[in-house]
Amino acid sequence: MMVLYTVVPLEDVMEGIEEDPAATMELSMGGLTLEVETLGGFRAKVVRVLSTDPAHFLRPHSQPGAIIRMDTF
Amino acid sequence: MEQYQPATDDEAASPDQNSLQTLKELGQVTTPEAPEPQEIQPFHCLNIIGQIEGHMVLPPRNKTTKYEHVIPQLVAIEQNPKIEGLLIVLNTVGGDIEAGLAIAEMLKTMKTPTVSLVLGGGHSIGAPIAVAADYSIISETATMTIHPIRLSGLVIGVPQTYEYLDKMQDRVIRFIVQHSNVKLEVLRDMMFRTGELVRDVGTVLVGQEAVQVGLINEVGGLGLALSRLSHLALQQRNGGIQ
Repeated sequence: MMVLYTVVPLEDVMEGIEEDPAATMELSMGGLTLEVETLGGFRAKVVRVLSTDPAHFLRPHSQPGAIIRMDTF
Repeated sequence: MEQYQPATDDEAASPDQNSLQTLKELGQVTTPEAPEPQEIQPFHCLNIIGQIEGHMVLPPRNKTTKYEHVIPQLVAIEQNPKIEGLLIVLNTVGGDIEAGLAIAEMLKTMKTPTVSLVLGGGHSIGAPIAVAADYSIISETATMTIHPIRLSGLVIGVPQTYEYLDKMQDRVIRFIVQHSNVKLEVLRDMMFRTGELVRDVGTVLVGQEAVQVGLINEVGGLGLALSRLSHLALQQRNGGIQ
């Protein structure tokens, strides 16, 4: 069902499709759940915010791509 | 590890606090704070994106909406008196029929006003979820594919399998007909129509077409969805909907 409409060549879009994506885990705190990719040394990168509260998506510290310290969770 | 380095110049701070400070100043890591309860928004937003995942965990390449994430969120929203409405944003290719119907049933039975907005696509099991809301909206360019249930890649070998699928099919059809203005014959006709979908049966509805057949209430976008939700929330405050 996925239809791509892009000027980027398919081989560039699909680059790395064969490799397994990094393992993720879920962290929860006070109603906010984050899907994170662990980086080692208690650090983790936010992959996805799992919440229905729109305000959670405005928090700079939990934006996808942000590096967080897991020991504060 | 960084946080066990002893404090040097800042004697007031404990080693742990000090290293945290340093890390903050270096901008390498950020410390998330717990969400504060007073920040609750009146309208919450539930995204239904990618595949709807139910009994089976899909391979990590798939973008999925997980049953175990959505159901507790709906329960929490329903129990929170400060949340006055829920906007469901759909851009889904379908997925697990039982998880999809479960989400649809949960939405349907919620007292909290709900408005669904179909953006991009609301295909297959996305249709019952879209109609489960108190009011449904589709964007002008969004599409909904109405097609029969099948087991992807498998050949139906025994009559029992066919009968089972037929029952599943009836559950979906009944739900859509009960919760939208589409007529049973119209829906069945769209579902089994040949010719529109290449090599397959079904119908693709784009924006206005979904409204014309009675599946969706109105064509619009975010502004309209929020104003409809505000209206429903106001009605709820003044003594309940229906």
